[in-house]
Amino acid sequence: MNRSDRRETMELEIPFGSNCVRLSGFEWLIVAVVVSALFYCVPILWKHIEKLKPGPDYRLPYSLSDDYWLFSRYCQWACSREKTLVIGDSVVWGHYVSKENTLSGYLNEVAGRHKFVNMGVDGIHPVALAGLLRYYGRDITDKDIILHFNPLWTSSKKHDLQIEKEFNFNHPKLVPQFVPNIPCYKVSSSVRIKSVIERYISFFSWTSHLKRAYFENPDLPRWTLEHPYENPLKNITLQLPASDGYNWSGHLPWYEKGVTKQDIQWVAIENSLQWRFFKYSVELLRKRGNRVLVLLGPFNEHILQRGSINTYRQMKKKIEAWLKQNNIPYYMPEALPSSMYRDASHPLSEGYVELARQLFKSAYGGSD
Amino acid sequence: MLFHTWLFVLFFLIVYLIYLVLKRTRFRLFWLLAVSYFFYACFHPLYPILIAYASLVDYTVVARMAKSSRGKAWLFVSIFNNLALLGFFKYGGFVTDNLNLLLSSLGISYAIAEPGIILPVGLSFYTLQSMSYTIDFYRGNIEREKSFIAYAAYVSLFPRLLAGPIERAKSLLPQLHTTPRISIQDVTDGLSLFAVGLFKKVALADYMALYVDKVYAAPEQFKSPALLLATFLFSWQIYFDFSGYTDMARGLARMMGVRLMLNFNNPYLATGLGDFWRRWHISLSSWFKDYVYIPLGGNRHGKLKTYRNMFLTMIISGLWHGAAWTFVIWGAVHALGRFLTRELEGTSFYKEKVPGLVKQLFVFALVTFAWIFFRAENISDAWLIITRLFSSGLANPYCPLLALTLILTVWLYQFIYESAIRWVLETRAVRIGLVVAMIMYLVVFAKSSETPFIYLQF
Repeated sequence: MNRSDRRETMELEIPFGSNCVRLSGFEWLIVAVVVSALFYCVPILWKHIEKLKPGPDYRLPYSLSDDYWLFSRYCQWACSREKTLVIGDSVVWGHYVSKENTLSGYLNEVAGRHKFVNMGVDGIHPVALAGLLRYYGRDITDKDIILHFNPLWTSSKKHDLQIEKEFNFNHPKLVPQFVPNIPCYKVSSSVRIKSVIERYISFFSWTSHLKRAYFENPDLPRWTLEHPYENPLKNITLQLPASDGYNWSGHLPWYEKGVTKQDIQWVAIENSLQWRFFKYSVELLRKRGNRVLVLLGPFNEHILQRGSINTYRQMKKKIEAWLKQNNIPYYMPEALPSSMYRDASHPLSEGYVELARQLFKSAYGGSD
Repeated sequence: MLFHTWLFVLFFLIVYLIYLVLKRTRFRLFWLLAVSYFFYACFHPLYPILIAYASLVDYTVVARMAKSSRGKAWLFVSIFNNLALLGFFKYGGFVTDNLNLLLSSLGISYAIAEPGIILPVGLSFYTLQSMSYTIDFYRGNIEREKSFIAYAAYVSLFPRLLAGPIERAKSLLPQLHTTPRISIQDVTDGLSLFAVGLFKKVALADYMALYVDKVYAAPEQFKSPALLLATFLFSWQIYFDFSGYTDMARGLARMMGVRLMLNFNNPYLATGLGDFWRRWHISLSSWFKDYVYIPLGGNRHGKLKTYRNMFLTMIISGLWHGAAWTFVIWGAVHALGRFLTRELEGTSFYKEKVPGLVKQLFVFALVTFAWIFFRAENISDAWLIITRLFSSGLANPYCPLLALTLILTVWLYQFIYESAIRWVLETRAVRIGLVVAMIMYLVVFAKSSETPFIYLQF
């Protein structure tokens, strides 16, 4: 029996399968072309179908904080206009205030026109922000930017993502998946590879957008368990959630909420992962031709015990030295009055008013 | 490292490219063996030692058997060794549990300590495969494999290592020895099989699992419709899960120029329990037929002994699946169902008057009923489910219509596949459309998880 005979016999003995899904090379080529076309076209078409019309003081909906495809769209919108982008975490986003009472909202009020755009993302920390800007903020070029650094992210080894014990931190898809190693990030290699793929193929981030915007849960199957008799397609209303905020309770300053003074064990800035990635973000934005102004804090120093304040001030000096050394414009305000803070880093509305006034005066000399 | 993870895709791409380079060289089998052991070590670093030991013993046994006149003794060594491995790793806990139960029922307060051994993935599959080699050699059905590397690659070949198909040496070893001639069609066939398997596992099985797991975790909280629905969904979940795994395994092997046997052939279209077992986990049922049922006497000594042999075979098959009484009962239910359908098939009324669709539904109902024992955590849960199925009253089961639609679509596809209008499914547009639809569904809607295959626990 020669080789081809043996092969033929084997073909007869071992059936291919129990269905007709058997494609030839040419047919797989057609599949590849069709799927690639869908991958390329659907996200583009979707932008025309699902309208994103940010009104004054718009910010990304709280429920879509980790919808990076939407962030990317929002970036495109903001960058196509003569706007100054205010980028940062929940302090910029305005975790405890409505969208009009945020830093960008008050900057617009002081400026007398809608020049400042709230590009804050709730829960984002500098390591994740670097990933967000690198992969989803590619359109941010040649713009005026206020980039906020919240010292809270260096207030403990846990905040700085330097502990060994695994915990759920925000925006894990945006942090480096392989190098440098983040010790508390212990997901499987497959999850890491998937995150990397999602950064480069916008179709995948579009599917995440679809799930987050219309199915509450991360996937359709789980959604159907909760809505067993509903047509999932009907849920795609093409209406994005409102730009509302976190459902905060009350408008009380930190000390009236029972928060006591804290002894914070700051991570040395030269060893801080969060600071290292913040510096990376500054350099990345500058490389892309943006004019970056760094806003540091203002952290609620009233919440700190004496030892912590001293360490904090030394840290500020080191940050200032680096900014000066690299000719990066910055504004480093003194702490706001204690009653203007909701917690360690978030101002209340009055705090944002004061901060906007100071920042506008310092950075723009009172006129833009 | 499961087939439906990105890590495996990356692993396979690297392995495959090097395999293509080495396929005409003498390093091909070394490479296959090395990557198979590496693949196995990803589950536990000590697993390769275990499989190397099992392979070495059977390889040596056959080498000795070839030179010795005491073949039976050497065969005994092989069988004993494989069963001892299974016994130690799989049944240690089961035996101690039952001994302790016996001791306490006798009023003896002494309790044997739980061995606390984890069952190595794939052990149940490769011990059967290895055993079939020694038995086949003893029977004179195959020649001795001279190369240990080839034999070890046969036992550990990574696409089929975790959960089969349980290949026979007669089919797989010659393929490993022949330089593979990998055509474009092999690659595209492999991709087709893999795509279907991936869809079955990720889009269907893992979806069904969401409902099934919820209900079976606390059956006392659910009423008859939900329990019925969960059992129905489990029938499909286990089929999609296991046949999806097999499709992927066969697809991967095919891309490497190795053809693994068909393990599932639309089992829920079976018209009798015998037919079901010729379509479900074919490699296992044929193994039990050849190495248990026929040696017991098969159907050669009258009806009573035939049924006795069937019963014993099904009980052993049940125990093979899991070390628990629920699996024994599952085997017994199948045996009883087999007697029933065999008797019915003997009547002209059933043969000629009962429509095929009714027979299929009847067999499906029997198989689904048996799955209750397979899926339940223990006998009391299984009993609770059965009693509540008939006595707990009605309540909205909150049945996801999408899941039922998907199942109905698959069933309809299979029904057409085995009908006279199969040509519809064979048209190019339908085939391409299906693959595009499956890929898009997987990417857009499927549940994102790394849920292991059900059969990895056996």
